[in-house]
Amino acid sequence: MHPLEGLLDRRFFLMSSAAVFAEASFSLPTFADVPVPYNWDLAPPMDNREAFIAWAVKNRGEDPKYLGERFDRYRVLVANKDVWDKRDDRAFLLVPREEFVLKQNLGRAYDHAFLDIGYGVTISGPHVVARMTSTIDVKMGDKVLEIGTGSGYQSAYLANLTDKVWTIEIIKPLAERTRGVYDALIGRGYSEYKAITSKNADGYYGWEENAPFDKIIVTCGIDHVPPPLLQQLKPGGIMVIPVGPPGAQRLLKIVKEQAADGTINVARSDIYNGRVVPFVPFTKLEGDAISGTHNK
Amino acid sequence: MTALARTNAPLYIAVGLVAGAVIALQICIMRVFAIGSWAHFGSFVVSLAMLGFGLTSAIMCVAKNWFERHALGVITASLLLFGPLAVASNLLAQQVPFNAIFLVSDPAQKWRLLANFLLYLLPFLAGATFLGTVFLQQAKTFNRVYFADLAGAGFGGLIFLLAMYVFAPQDLIVAPLILWLLGSLAFFFAYAKKQVTVLLAVVAALTLTAHFAVPPSLNIAKLAVSDYKGVAYARKFPDSQRVYERDTPFGYLEVYGSSYLHFAPGLSDNAAFNLKDMPANAYLGLYIDGEGPSGIIRDLPKDQTDYYRFLPMIYPYVVKDQPRTFVVQFGGGLSASVALDRSSHVTVAEGNPAVLAAFRTDPTLKAFTGDILANPRLDVVDYDGRLFLAHTPRRFDVIDLSLADSAGLSSPGGFSVVEKFSYARESMQNYMRALASGGILSVTLWNKEEPPKSILKLYATMAEAAKQNGEPDIAQNFFVVSSYLATATVLYKKGGFTDEEIAKLRAHTRAMSFDEIYYPGFVFDPAQTQSVLDGYKSQVFSEADTAPGTVEAGEPEIEPAAPESSVLPSTLMGRLTWHSLIHGGWPEIANQYVFDVRPLTNDRPYFAAYIKPLDLPKILDRLELVQDEWGYLLLWATLFVAIGLASTLVLIPVIFSWRTIFSRYPGKLRTILYFACLGAGYIMVEVCLIAEFVLALSNATVSASVMITGMLIFSGLGSLASERYLDRSKIFMPRIFIGIAVFLIVYGLWLHIPLDWIGHYNYGLRLFLCFCLIAPPAFLMGFPMPTAMDTLARLGKDHMFLWAWGINGCFSVIGAAAVPLVATTFGLSSVLFVAAVAYLLALPAFYAVLLPVGEKRAATSAA
Repeated sequence: MHPLEGLLDRRFFLMSSAAVFAEASFSLPTFADVPVPYNWDLAPPMDNREAFIAWAVKNRGEDPKYLGERFDRYRVLVANKDVWDKRDDRAFLLVPREEFVLKQNLGRAYDHAFLDIGYGVTISGPHVVARMTSTIDVKMGDKVLEIGTGSGYQSAYLANLTDKVWTIEIIKPLAERTRGVYDALIGRGYSEYKAITSKNADGYYGWEENAPFDKIIVTCGIDHVPPPLLQQLKPGGIMVIPVGPPGAQRLLKIVKEQAADGTINVARSDIYNGRVVPFVPFTKLEGDAISGTHNK
Repeated sequence: MTALARTNAPLYIAVGLVAGAVIALQICIMRVFAIGSWAHFGSFVVSLAMLGFGLTSAIMCVAKNWFERHALGVITASLLLFGPLAVASNLLAQQVPFNAIFLVSDPAQKWRLLANFLLYLLPFLAGATFLGTVFLQQAKTFNRVYFADLAGAGFGGLIFLLAMYVFAPQDLIVAPLILWLLGSLAFFFAYAKKQVTVLLAVVAALTLTAHFAVPPSLNIAKLAVSDYKGVAYARKFPDSQRVYERDTPFGYLEVYGSSYLHFAPGLSDNAAFNLKDMPANAYLGLYIDGEGPSGIIRDLPKDQTDYYRFLPMIYPYVVKDQPRTFVVQFGGGLSASVALDRSSHVTVAEGNPAVLAAFRTDPTLKAFTGDILANPRLDVVDYDGRLFLAHTPRRFDVIDLSLADSAGLSSPGGFSVVEKFSYARESMQNYMRALASGGILSVTLWNKEEPPKSILKLYATMAEAAKQNGEPDIAQNFFVVSSYLATATVLYKKGGFTDEEIAKLRAHTRAMSFDEIYYPGFVFDPAQTQSVLDGYKSQVFSEADTAPGTVEAGEPEIEPAAPESSVLPSTLMGRLTWHSLIHGGWPEIANQYVFDVRPLTNDRPYFAAYIKPLDLPKILDRLELVQDEWGYLLLWATLFVAIGLASTLVLIPVIFSWRTIFSRYPGKLRTILYFACLGAGYIMVEVCLIAEFVLALSNATVSASVMITGMLIFSGLGSLASERYLDRSKIFMPRIFIGIAVFLIVYGLWLHIPLDWIGHYNYGLRLFLCFCLIAPPAFLMGFPMPTAMDTLARLGKDHMFLWAWGINGCFSVIGAAAVPLVATTFGLSSVLFVAAVAYLLALPAFYAVLLPVGEKRAATSAA
């Protein structure tokens, strides 16, 4: 989609009173096109901030300011064990989170915080997205379903781990806005997002035509696990659902197990597999060291 | 202002009406917050805005002479400004909504909150200036004008309650505006030129026009509902439609229909592989004050109710065939529907008359639910089930309390500090007593917390209730299951479970893949006790330096593929809790546990406030971890901000006038103490009784209105009567203080007994009896303030008169903020004891008020 079409779309939304506030404040930052086409062998430097920024400016055409913030956040994620392997590291470093937040929140795009994206929906903090994604251990080729597209950041992250991502958003204008974000990014050369198929529908019923899925991520509140989603999960598949208020969410992990006799069992646990893990206060980077706590 | 001396009746009427307008505006703002965002912030903003009285008093105290010279002008201006300021501040504040959930993470939210506070402060400043100037003019007969002030405020509260039947939430502000207009008219007719009355008419017309015409023409909201309120989501569903709407004092009820609404609280995951389909379009969403949804279930054909057996509320029916069932709260009707499906007869209670009225009268709801309340196998009790079961001679085979008062989705605002009397130990004891021989009490609660909090409180409460009922050994009486991050269900059987029943229940639990927490004969291995307790403590309170500190990209400590055989910590904690509740050692476990898990009682009926107060400083750098406790934390913030602001205000006269004007006044410090005690004492009693009387009245809004109206009117009468004893106050007042203290202590100890009885009468009689109960202490509490103020005025201590009024106001705010903190920590009765102490402290301080101006020696000794 041409960027102008996005603008036209937004103008259309402005006419809908429910969308006025969310839309008035949302506009895509105008960053450059991606100079080097995406491929699965892209390997950003992970051990040096300057090297990473230089690499990403050259290969991805992104703003060094956000690249620096992304790398700093990445270091904290590693220290806090929010990302568990190199593929997760790579996925985090390749997703321009700044493209998925509201304009007024650009300055806090990489904060350890969930941010408002309009419509009563938040974009989860980078640590939560990283941890949830690490939990479901997405392999290349896995079919992954996301319920609750929201900002689109989660699926963008997934698109760097597998080439088959489906995502469903219940709020129509938000679904359309995020689709617009993907299309604009694809237009600028982020071809990895072509792996994302999205629709506006009630996620409760999953996406039967494309089932079964290896992994399902649910990012919206519900008082029970929707049976259709459990049915559309492959045996051995994993589902992860945040439970509780934003910020203080617990991540529920559900594993669908099939015994040799064909009986199916569903095991609930938290993502630490039953360990009590000490809370990690907000950590900050000072130079190259992780130190202290802060509350910003 | 000689005009004022001519006749005082219009003045008293004006004072009464404006005082009524001020209180109506307070409640109005609290309603606006409750519906638009979050009720706790309403209390926060309003209580701080009440410091407007302190600010006004401080300014008037410093510039007393100016105010005396320009009294008529000041009164005229403040009256003309009150209405326009109320409307303007409300409209502006609605354009800068702030969002509680971003308060910590988004720096801008703090400024939005401040803007809300400053905006809502403005009309209160105008109201306070009017009242303060009149008080100053009428200082020598203060008790009469104070009567008008209190009685008017009392009626204002009552009128607002009635207005809630008439106006939609966004237009409730019209109620204070009407009171303001009438009050201003009464004043201007009697004491001002005609032109001023005409000006008032113009201002009032513009004000109302602004409220009704400006928002639509500028396309701005009169009441901005946060996108994060439950109802905001329902409104966004493409096919959603509002099928019912009604505003009453029992809440703003809305019902939405949408195919996107799905309810099956706590549904077993196994339903997915054993059921063909879940019923579609089976629910409407019920929202009260925008919070929800609670599911209203459709009248389902028998072949679509299969999924009931996968719900946790089915448990009692696993072992009870066709029982006589009592459902403690109707809510949206899910429990009642399940009960009807499995019982021979069902009795269901609902304490919210607005909910019952909706189900009984609305054609859409009646059609959708198959007119469930008219089902011949169903009786309806139209008041709290808790109160019914406390008094009924009837006995039931099953009593069900499932997920009462709680919406299925997590509320982003967090827990409110709300009295949950239905879950208190005394209520549980009553439920247990109302069981027939072999009957089962089934209580289901959300289990979405990690570390667990609410469910541990529930476990402790139910075990304690059984013990208090005289069960010598409760080991055989309980069966407990939970589902991780879903629900927990506790079954209590009168007489104990049989082996056959235990086997049936365990088989059902396995079939549902729920976790066994306790059953008679359950063996717990205490070897894990310490590691669980320590683990939770470290999970919440670990220091930063124990967190991973190096940036090694090596092997992560958390293995994604760790073995899954171990029992989850929260399940283990539940088992440990029951083990120690039954076999002893619970107090020690509770003491070591990371959160407060004392049982709920009528004196301390709170699930919220789970952070132990001494742990508060340690939690400040990890607020995100306790986001569901923000209601409680906000109370602490209110207290600290109120103390800060109040001290500042109290200090203004000290800085400007201590060595000049006040140097002539003896006994200053004791006088300050006196009015501080009255301010804090009075409001503590009022706020505490609002909570206590919910026991009998079942509804916080009604209770608040009854208390505000009753206390203020009876205190007003006390104020009026005080004039007769003014000359003998030295001898008479000690009796009053002691009388008040005796009443408060007696009420603190035994008030629950009459409230419990009052609760099962019809609502009109309940209201009347509640008024009777509060009349005696409220009447006596009306004496101290006007007696002292009259005395100050007659002794010519005019500056002290003004300042005293402000100190009283400031300490009211502090007292109000302190009530829930004292109540959650020590219990509601303790609040009354603290208030009694405040009144006893005021007794000796009263003698300082009596000291005449110029007694230097007394001044020195007191200061």
